[in-house]
Amino acid sequence: MNFRFDIIQEYLPFFLQGMGLTILMSVIGVLMGCILGFFIALGKMSPILIVRLPFIWYINFLRGTPLLVQLFLFHFAVLPSLLGETTPVLSVIVTLSLNSSAYVAEIFRAGLQSIDKGQAEAAHSLGMNKVQVMWHVLLPQAFKRSIPPLGNEFIVLLKDSSLGAMIAAQDVLYWGRAASNEYLKVWEPYLMVALIYLVLTLSLTYLLNYIEKRLDVK
Amino acid sequence: MISVKHLRKTFGETEVLKDISMDIHSQEVVVVIGPSGSGKSTFLRCLNLIESVTDGSIVIDGQEITASGVNVNTLRTEVGMVFQQFNLFPHKTVLENITLPIVTVRKWKKHQAEEKAMDLLQKVGLLEKASAYPDSLSGGQKQRVAIARALGMEPKVMLFDEPTSALDPEMVGEVLGVMKQLAEEGMTMVVVTHEMGFAREVGDRVVFMDDGYVVEEKPPKELFEKPEHERTKAFLSKVL
Ligand SMILES: Nc1ncnc2c1ncn2[C@@H]1O[C@H](COP(=O)(O)OP(=O)(O)OP(=O)(O)O)[C@@H](O)[C@H]1O
Ligand SMILES: [Mg+2]
Repeated sequence: MNFRFDIIQEYLPFFLQGMGLTILMSVIGVLMGCILGFFIALGKMSPILIVRLPFIWYINFLRGTPLLVQLFLFHFAVLPSLLGETTPVLSVIVTLSLNSSAYVAEIFRAGLQSIDKGQAEAAHSLGMNKVQVMWHVLLPQAFKRSIPPLGNEFIVLLKDSSLGAMIAAQDVLYWGRAASNEYLKVWEPYLMVALIYLVLTLSLTYLLNYIEKRLDVK
Repeated sequence: MISVKHLRKTFGETEVLKDISMDIHSQEVVVVIGPSGSGKSTFLRCLNLIESVTDGSIVIDGQEITASGVNVNTLRTEVGMVFQQFNLFPHKTVLENITLPIVTVRKWKKHQAEEKAMDLLQKVGLLEKASAYPDSLSGGQKQRVAIARALGMEPKVMLFDEPTSALDPEMVGEVLGVMKQLAEEGMTMVVVTHEMGFAREVGDRVVFMDDGYVVEEKPPKELFEKPEHERTKAFLSKVL
């Protein structure tokens, strides 16, 4: 077999560009997911069933349907009817944010509920109010415990962002398909795409390990 | 100082406190004893409203805390609580454990809170541990920090729920020592404990609880030497 490095060479600038977009979409997705996820976790822990119910179903829907289906739904139906028009990148970012918010919410909820009840009791017994207890006592501990699963979620998200190629967001996979179509070759472009994702996820894994060590997460 | 009248507490179907009435005077040290499950912890927890009260009234320093519309958080600053499991905040240093409520609740400036915290650490003999994290302390040290933290709010009453039960025997003394010192300084205290030596030496009054009732209450010497009720006798014969 004749491996055509020249294809990879020719497409390298595009792959790098796609890599930038992949990173951008995943980082925004995970950040938005964390912010939204925090509030959704709080909502889902409400003692009042009526308040809890919409959050439960938000999570059920986003975790119980395929991400690709969600992407099509948002790109072709929800966002166009809300905004009049959308771009592939916007659709990917919105879908990734919402999808990860459901997973992050469950991560935060598990983190908060794993904190010993005595912590909140002690804080309340010192006269701290609910917001102070949450902010100063529960959240810092819950967040620290959430870092390893959040890291996993980030890695999953990074890989899932490749679905964006299905609606022509110009990420790494998009350029792989473009190269494949142009030269009618499959090995070179797709191996390259796989390699780029591998480099991204491995770097992220090492970065997360480093952070976990620095923060001394058990 | 504290006046409890016909206090009842139920969890669903189970009635844990059945009809408790008790007066605790200023500067008095009341020791509560009784078998496991008799409602001692629940009683203490009602006194600072960590547990809601089902029925009856509690008046602390002239204020009825069981009335509606009471600011629970303000009340709790006046009633300090020390737990069996210490419940120090593991992500904060010893100093920060003490300053956190002073800064957030009492709204003191940080440096003032730190000065106050250092005074308290000196008092409990842990000045050199100010910047340590709770994980690195022994049980006895943790509990002394927890006492200092509660004192930071300058409470009028201190509640202790089995403060030495989670400790190795050799550390019990250092914690009881701090509590004894507090009592000598005139702190009003309610102490649930199995340390009968402490009850005898420091307690002004011992309350024997069983099955959600106060069965008997007397000065320690009298209660230990001449218990009136059969249940008290049976309990004392097991623990003394
Ligand atoms: N949150 C709760 N829900 C239901 N039942 C409870 C709750 N808290 C306590 N109880 C019950 O109330 C009873 C009294 O409990 P409490 O902890 O006050 O006893 P105690 O005298 O402190 O016992 P111990 O010496 O073991 O600490 C127990 O039977 C316990 O199971
Ligand atoms: Mg108890």
